[in-house]
Amino acid sequence: MRIERKIAIIYWSTLLITSFWLGAIGAAPYLRSQASGVAPLIYSCFSTVCHQIPSRSFHLFGFPLAVCARCLGIYAGFLGGLVLYPFQRGFSSVRLPKPAFFWIVSAPIAIDAIANRLGFWTGSNVLRFATGFLWGSILPFYFLTGLGELALRAHKK
Amino acid sequence: MNDPKPRLFMPALLGGAAAGLLSGIPFVNCCCCLWIIGGAALAAYLLWKDSPIVLSSGDGALVGAFAGILAAFIRALISIPFRPMEEVLTKKIMEYFADYMKQMPAQLSDLMNQGNEPVSLAVIFFGLLISAALCAALGALGGVIGIALCGKKTRPGAQSAPQQPGPLPPPPPQP
Repeated sequence: MRIERKIAIIYWSTLLITSFWLGAIGAAPYLRSQASGVAPLIYSCFSTVCHQIPSRSFHLFGFPLAVCARCLGIYAGFLGGLVLYPFQRGFSSVRLPKPAFFWIVSAPIAIDAIANRLGFWTGSNVLRFATGFLWGSILPFYFLTGLGELALRAHKK
Repeated sequence: MNDPKPRLFMPALLGGAAAGLLSGIPFVNCCCCLWIIGGAALAAYLLWKDSPIVLSSGDGALVGAFAGILAAFIRALISIPFRPMEEVLTKKIMEYFADYMKQMPAQLSDLMNQGNEPVSLAVIFFGLLISAALCAALGALGGVIGIALCGKKTRPGAQSAPQQPGPLPPPPPQP
């Protein structure tokens, strides 16, 4: 199998899983509004990666989403980065972004999170979502590069 | 000549232990998935620091994924002794609100009720599997980020092509 096809498979699989992930985040409050027994399971799965504080989460159908606004922004940004990836990188090669780019894009979410934690300000959920979205958008360029490099290594063997 | 494979176990164990501990202790585990990513990046740094060979993003992904899986299991173990403490604290807060408020805010009630429902062993096991898979993905991401931030490392004594012989040293002066 050609390396481009391997990387494309990794890309589309990641895109599919991410879409399903975001769908589950949005489905959780709907299922809860319908008193479904699946809703607690979904919330429980996401509790491993999110504090799920209701005041820090967007609400849908009268109930909080399965993750907080910042986490939602990160995952939505990840999906956005995935959509952008083929146009920026293509599937024929893998390379990492420059370290300076990571620090620049990470600065807003780091400053917002630390300032919130230390009590300097209490940002809105929209701000948390926006900073999370910005940071999440660069993560596919690391994630797919790592997996693509593993695929490239296996291809050479 | 074949490059030796980097030893992943110790860096993954140390990074996973750090991530698992921090994400399992109450009031410290407020950083969501960032502890897992940070622990994996730490594992990648430890691997990079002691590695005699040039590491790639794939190596970061591998060590990060291992660190993430270890973090998931360590977190599950760490959270066990803290669970009774959390239940006592939750009960105290609910009693406080019952004394001073006629009606508890819906959001606080939801927060208090989260995790208090009895769960079966099968659900716990299934949840652990999901958690391990998720932490593996987050760990892979963190590992790649760690390698990316560590930068390229020059392989000591590495020669990608035969070196051209340099100019001969000048002859010693004649007495």
